[in-house]
Amino acid sequence: MAIKKIAFIVEKLPYKSETSRLALTHTIASQTVEIHLEDGDNVEPVLAFVGEGVLNCLKNQKALELYGVSSLEAHVKNALLLDLRVLVCKEDLEGFGLTEDSIVMDAEEIGGEVTTQVVPYEEIQQDLEAADHLMFF
Amino acid sequence: MGKITIGCFSSLVGSMSLDFAVKLSEAAVKKGHEVDLWLSGNGTMLGKKGQSKFRDYSYLMDTVTELIKSGKFKITNCEACAKARGISREDTVEGFGVASMDWYLASAFSTDRILHIGGE
Amino acid sequence: MRLAVFVSEYREPAMLERLKAEKLGIVLVQNGVYHAALKKDGNVSPVLSKDVEYYALSEDLQSRGFSDSDVVDSKVKVINYDGLVDLIFNDYEKTIWL
Repeated sequence: MAIKKIAFIVEKLPYKSETSRLALTHTIASQTVEIHLEDGDNVEPVLAFVGEGVLNCLKNQKALELYGVSSLEAHVKNALLLDLRVLVCKEDLEGFGLTEDSIVMDAEEIGGEVTTQVVPYEEIQQDLEAADHLMFF
Repeated sequence: MGKITIGCFSSLVGSMSLDFAVKLSEAAVKKGHEVDLWLSGNGTMLGKKGQSKFRDYSYLMDTVTELIKSGKFKITNCEACAKARGISREDTVEGFGVASMDWYLASAFSTDRILHIGGE
Repeated sequence: MRLAVFVSEYREPAMLERLKAEKLGIVLVQNGVYHAALKKDGNVSPVLSKDVEYYALSEDLQSRGFSDSDVVDSKVKVINYDGLVDLIFNDYEKTIWL
């Protein structure tokens, strides 16, 4: 019986490339990985947005209406709905002149209970050290 | 001997990252390691049947076929990413797996090392 | 942690300044090898300014018109794919591709 921690770190901007979308969909796939593993084994993900990656978390994205593809905002909400640990780098958010009011902090309207945590980079670095594996998007 | 899981999202043509991933896999297998190679996003085009070998475009199928024969190399396409690009199971080269994204995470669970090449 | 960071582009990745590790290795691959092979305005690339281990992939240097001996800083060790596999398994625990 073992739990493996995987840190998914998102640094890319949304939409121009598929990278940050794949970060979200792969992170969310951790919810079904158990079917491939033995009893008691599981993967524990942490999803961290750093640098320009924090812009994936902005509210009011209209990608579904305009591009016809689900928004990164919706994916972040799904991650929260699934009780995943979602971290946003405080320094990077502030660097863009943004605050918690600008980004997805919860998924209450779809029944989510956990919230996004805006944390100093130092805390994200600690998660990188605690993780068994890192995936940088 | 160990196991490495490599994830690659880059396309066969238009990027050299998939070329890197396959060459690293080849070197690892030659040293006796096991390799799982997960292809997602544009990386899934590596598994498409009927590729032609032209000098101006990367062509990796011969190397991949040899790696599959080694028995130490598993290569798997992300099913949704492939289908979105019109690549069904029937269109996929023999020896390639087709699975949902949790396959990659399951491989990550049991591996010694991960190299995740996250796209361009 | 023992962390190997792959730098694949000829720009200074923002994350490079931030990443901390007990043992940090920077592996220059693809366009990242230009950091090892060229000076800019007479100076070596800022990517090479850290007190960490540096490696550059021989194949990517040679493909771009440089020989293994063209690396501008003696702290960069030129390796091939075999050497890279050994690095990943023996010298580092985690890897990041930037």
